[in-house]
Amino acid sequence: MDESITFLHSSDWQLGMMRRFLGPDGQARWGQARLDAVVRIGEVARRTGARFVVVAGDVFEHNQVERQTILRACEALKRIEVPVVLLPGNHDALEPGSLWTSAQWTAHKPEHVTVLTGTEPLEIVPGVEIVGAPWRSRRPVSDPAAPGYAELGPAPAGTRRILLAHGQLTSLSGGMSEVPTIDQAALEAAVADQRLHYVGLGDRHSTTEVTERIWFSGTQEVTAPEETHPGNVLAVTFTADDIAVEPVQVGAWHMVEHHVELYDEGSLIALEDWFAELPDKERTYVRLAADGSLPLPLLSRLDAMVDAQGEVFASVERWAKFWTVRPAPDAADLDSLQLSGPARAAMEELRQALAAGDEEAGAALTLMHRLARDAG
Amino acid sequence: MRLHSLTLRDFRGVKDRTVQLPAMGTTVVVGDNEVGKSSLVEAFALVFELPDDSKSKRIADIQPVGHDVGPEVTVELTLGGRELTYTKRWLKNRSTELSVIEPDGRRQTWTGREAHNEAERLFNENVDPVLWQTLMVSQGQSLILPTPADAEPLISAVTAESGTPVDGASMPLVSAVEHEYLRYWTPRGRSTGEFAKSAQAVASAELRSAQASKAMEEVVADIRRAERLALDLDDLSARLKDHLVSVEELRERKQATDEILLRRDSVRARAETARARLENHTRTRLDRERLLADVERFSQTATELAELRTEADTVAKKAAETVHAAEAALAEVVELKDDRRTDVQRAEQWVSELMDRAELDRLTGQQAELADVRARIAAASAVLDGIKVTDELAASLEDARAHVVEARAALAAGVPEVLVRRVGADVVSLSGTGLDAGGSPVPAELAEDAEVSVLVSGELVVGVPGQVEVTVRAGGEAATLRARVDESVRREKDLLKRAGVRNLAAARELLRKRDTASAELQEARRTERSLTAGGDPGERIALLCARLGITSSDEAAAEEDVPTAKNKQPIIEDVPGQMSLFEEFEEDTFDFELVLPEPAVPGDLAGAQRALENARAELAAAERLLTDAEFAAAQARKAADEDRSEAQNARARAELATERLAAAVAELEAARAVLADEGVEAEESTATAEVEAVLEELTAVQEQADAAGADEVAGELADSLAVAQRLQGERDTLRDSLRTTEGRLEQSGRDGLATRQDAAELELAAVRAEHDNLKRRADAARRVYETLGRHRAEAQTKYSEPLQTRIEALGRSVYGPSFRVWLDDDLAVAERELDGSRLRVESLSTGAQEQLAIITRLAISHLVSTGEGSVPVIFDDALGWSDKARLRDMGALLGRAGDHGQIIILTCMPERYEYVPRANFIKLQ
Repeated sequence: MDESITFLHSSDWQLGMMRRFLGPDGQARWGQARLDAVVRIGEVARRTGARFVVVAGDVFEHNQVERQTILRACEALKRIEVPVVLLPGNHDALEPGSLWTSAQWTAHKPEHVTVLTGTEPLEIVPGVEIVGAPWRSRRPVSDPAAPGYAELGPAPAGTRRILLAHGQLTSLSGGMSEVPTIDQAALEAAVADQRLHYVGLGDRHSTTEVTERIWFSGTQEVTAPEETHPGNVLAVTFTADDIAVEPVQVGAWHMVEHHVELYDEGSLIALEDWFAELPDKERTYVRLAADGSLPLPLLSRLDAMVDAQGEVFASVERWAKFWTVRPAPDAADLDSLQLSGPARAAMEELRQALAAGDEEAGAALTLMHRLARDAG
Repeated sequence: MRLHSLTLRDFRGVKDRTVQLPAMGTTVVVGDNEVGKSSLVEAFALVFELPDDSKSKRIADIQPVGHDVGPEVTVELTLGGRELTYTKRWLKNRSTELSVIEPDGRRQTWTGREAHNEAERLFNENVDPVLWQTLMVSQGQSLILPTPADAEPLISAVTAESGTPVDGASMPLVSAVEHEYLRYWTPRGRSTGEFAKSAQAVASAELRSAQASKAMEEVVADIRRAERLALDLDDLSARLKDHLVSVEELRERKQATDEILLRRDSVRARAETARARLENHTRTRLDRERLLADVERFSQTATELAELRTEADTVAKKAAETVHAAEAALAEVVELKDDRRTDVQRAEQWVSELMDRAELDRLTGQQAELADVRARIAAASAVLDGIKVTDELAASLEDARAHVVEARAALAAGVPEVLVRRVGADVVSLSGTGLDAGGSPVPAELAEDAEVSVLVSGELVVGVPGQVEVTVRAGGEAATLRARVDESVRREKDLLKRAGVRNLAAARELLRKRDTASAELQEARRTERSLTAGGDPGERIALLCARLGITSSDEAAAEEDVPTAKNKQPIIEDVPGQMSLFEEFEEDTFDFELVLPEPAVPGDLAGAQRALENARAELAAAERLLTDAEFAAAQARKAADEDRSEAQNARARAELATERLAAAVAELEAARAVLADEGVEAEESTATAEVEAVLEELTAVQEQADAAGADEVAGELADSLAVAQRLQGERDTLRDSLRTTEGRLEQSGRDGLATRQDAAELELAAVRAEHDNLKRRADAARRVYETLGRHRAEAQTKYSEPLQTRIEALGRSVYGPSFRVWLDDDLAVAERELDGSRLRVESLSTGAQEQLAIITRLAISHLVSTGEGSVPVIFDDALGWSDKARLRDMGALLGRAGDHGQIIILTCMPERYEYVPRANFIKLQ
């Protein structure tokens, strides 16, 4: 087969997913964005001339997602004009009660969409067959990819064989995975002896090239700040003897984790600048970690700034675990308020308590400072 | 500030008046109502407040009514070390003049608006308005306790003395802190508002999240269950499949062994047949042996029974004879009993007859008495019938007699009574009509010496025949009287005739006789009734005579015969040998003789009755004898019956034995005709050999079947099929469970439970974050509030101390050493303690409140008296609610207060202040 064939590889759509740090409004917009990214995959397919689209697992967040999610997913899939092959992953395993066998899905599934429920090769287009290893349980007992290709001999001459599998690679999981992982060496061996020509993997949300022919596409839309290259779909092109894989961005959201050390007005201004420079603020979630100590006026300013940015961005989260900015009141702060008598004495007491390690006194002191400043 | 003088002109009711005020000490301005005491205070206020061109209504109000004049005020005072003279006139000829002598002696003057502005500036600079308002008590406001916290001179004095600076600048902060605190907490420290709502929201969200999680856990559990069921189902299906293979194998084995089993069945059938045949021959042999034995045995039995039969017949015959003898004896006893019964009947008859005769005697006597009584009745009746006089007739007679006597008396009185006496020998004849000689006949002639008195109702002719004839004729009445006499006489006669008597006396006698006869008749009838009460004796006599066979006419003869007949009867007592009958009875001999005694006939009833009792005893003895004889006869009959029966039995058995012998012989003959005795055993041997051969064949086939396990295969197949059925059942159950679980999962999928759980957790996280945020703020607000509050309380205590000390010092001079007060944030007295009782000031009496208000003002005045900001204390009437003792104490207090400042009291009641020492009294006219 000399003709080159392009298809798109995606995974981990996890439609119906929720992120509690986004808040209700952010959640609604982000949920829609994940569907929009699916629609954009259809656009990329059209643009690149892809003959079909494969999704390597976790199309849905759960088997028990609400009906609306399924119907909207079907609508988004209709916007992809080429055949689509879906693989059940760990989130939407082909287990009892699976949505893939539910009436809700089967009644609305678009005609051009195929769900891989077995390991028999599927000739998606002439000269290309797809084998898959659908998850049949959330707790597989062995290499979740193996059932897809272990029994296969070499592909028929002139046929490219694509394996769709879902799970972490043994080599990438660092041995920390609680579920069985995919044996990378075995995969590479299968690729090497041309039993497989491309392995489309899912589960890892960052686009990752394992080998030239083994890829994680990553999620179509970012789901966590830890993801390094999310929001892509892979355009895979088989040429005569070779293969070309090109990540194409379809995601529109950003999730950012930012660590700052705050100790003076300069550092505060730097944080303000950092916020200012971020693009797509309304589609960006910021997880902010801060350390250091600030004079009371600056601490109030920091609070005000973070609150204000929270209104601008999709969400700005003070990362509680790493939020250790403490008030550092000095005499000048207190003097500037021109307090006397009991008020001054109260503030002094709080300052001393803070100095003695009473964290709550810090919050009280900050509040009193703000109130005194506003009252003055 | 010190006031020196105030001059009012054309001000309200005051035409022109100047009041000089000492700079120090207590001044009491006394004046009646409406003389303008209050106008002094008003004037001082207006002169600084309103310019001379003011259009204020307050200015219009001070113009004297009906006078078009301009009210004018001049005030002299010391203000911040300056001596001021300030005059202002409103409305008419308006003017303002201010003259100021500076402390250095310089003098400045202003007029018009400038004067007003300068005066206002100086006043505002030197007089703290709060202090001024605090210490100037208008009329009717003496009860109000001062709240002097914002009075600057007081603050300065307190600060200087306590060393605690006033923290006025912090008040907005305090307010903000409190406001912030109240955003989250109630004054009592409970969460409120947004904070409380967020806690509720968290609780609700937690509940929803927990519910959603639980629902999802159930889903996961269902998934696990379904997975497990699917695995079990696969496992079971595999086992079932394997099992069905083994079932099929068993089936094939069974087909193979079925042929052997068929053969075995065939041999078994033949063995059964051979065994049956052998049994037949054996039975034939046994029958023959039995027949031979029977013939011998029956023959012997027949002989024995024939002998027995002869013996039994003999015994029976003898028994029959015994019965016959017993029955003969019984017949004799029956006869004896019948005779005894006859004796009894005869004795009874005789007793009855004797009783009848006795009754006949009694009845005969009764009949004679009855005849006598009846004769008496007849006699009495005859007497009664002969007497015609009745009680009524007798009464009429008595009445008629009386009438006669009465008529005669009337006649005697009404007619001439002529006494005719014959005195000579000559015949005197009497004749005439209507003559009455008193019942006696009028003699036709009178005998010698006889006389007769005659009543003449007609005509009496007395003659001596021949010699004389005298006629006496009665008058007209005489005839009537005579008629009445005649009538009554005639009636009496009729009655006597009816009574059958000659006169009334006879009638009376007859009546007496009648009563006697009547009484007798009644007595006789009673007797007759008693005699005939039991019926007519005649009938019963006739009955008895008939029964006794005599006629009533020859009753006497019968009576004569009875004793004779009686005498012929033998005596029945002492019958000898009455019991010997039984004693003489012997079982074997019945030929005894009965000796029957002749029955004696007693003549009297008692003897007859005794004879009857004896006869009855005899009968009872005969009956006992009969019972015994019957028993003996019955026993004999029974024995005879048994012997006869025995004889019959013996006969029957002997006959039967003979029959059976004959039958056995016949049977043996018949059997021998079929098969001779020698052939029987030979046939049995042949059959035995045949059975043994078939059994040998059966053993061989069985060994074959055992080797093939033919008998077990069927059981194994049945067991295996049962197992298959059980496995299929289990598989169906698993399938159903799996379907049910999958159905639930399908439903939970439709419900979007995972999405719900995520949404619930999302909501929970959001509200929890919001709540945590609010809690941090609330905790901070509380911390600040509490910290600041604590410091403020401490400062307050310290800050209020100078004023508190002074109030208590002044108060103790009035109330004694137990007097204490507590001040609030505004330095106002909040509580007072006296004699250990602590009260809110609102709870104090009106008098106590007013006194406390005065004391507080004097204390404030004392505190500020050393500073430049001091002002006079002015009371426009006060102490209206104090008793005399308190007035004395308060007066002393007011006097002492004058030592430190200017105290001005306006009053119309100077006696309230007569105890103020060193007071300067100014009286307004």
